[in-house]
Amino acid sequence: MTKTQEIETKLRKQFAPYQLSVVDDSESHRGHGGFREGQSTHFNVLIRSEAFAGQSRIARHRAIHAALGAELIASIHALALDVSD
Amino acid sequence: MTDAATQIKDTITNNDVVLFMKGTKEMPQCGFSSRVAGVLNYMGVTFSDVNVLADEAVRQGIKDFSDWPTIPQLYVKGEFVGGCDIITEMTLSGELDTLFDQNGVSYDKDAADKIRQANG
Repeated sequence: MTKTQEIETKLRKQFAPYQLSVVDDSESHRGHGGFREGQSTHFNVLIRSEAFAGQSRIARHRAIHAALGAELIASIHALALDVSD
Repeated sequence: MTDAATQIKDTITNNDVVLFMKGTKEMPQCGFSSRVAGVLNYMGVTFSDVNVLADEAVRQGIKDFSDWPTIPQLYVKGEFVGGCDIITEMTLSGELDTLFDQNGVSYDKDAADKIRQANG
């Protein structure tokens, strides 16, 4: 399973989103901090789920961090989140 | 508390606006840190920058302290506000202005409006 698929799978399981996009944006960071040749280091996530209704921005991000797990997050350099209900 | 936690607590208690970032506000070392420092600089906000790359204990310490796995992290009046995505969203929505207003942090309202006009 690629890291992209791993992120998608975990988010779908936890939040049952009606819209989800996980993009491995690593290549566009070539030459910048955190880029590692051949590795997935930068991700852009767009997620829309009713599970986030009524939650603060911080609470939404924390819920995603928890769903992905510390190990996965520690293995990547950047995780850009666009979260809404 | 660990030494790093004590140091972080002191920093956010003694400074109204603190940005924990990679690099410095004059020379950010990461695009995400650069974006938040750039917004604060452009809005004319007086803030303290803490370069987490200069101290491994603080780099890990701030993640534990905030229960937040990524850098940058913005604190206003001792309260955690968010990271790059959240600050960007709050800047564009005007929530950051409101937060500064509520906490007596001075900033250039016209500059904030210009950011919104350029990204509207």
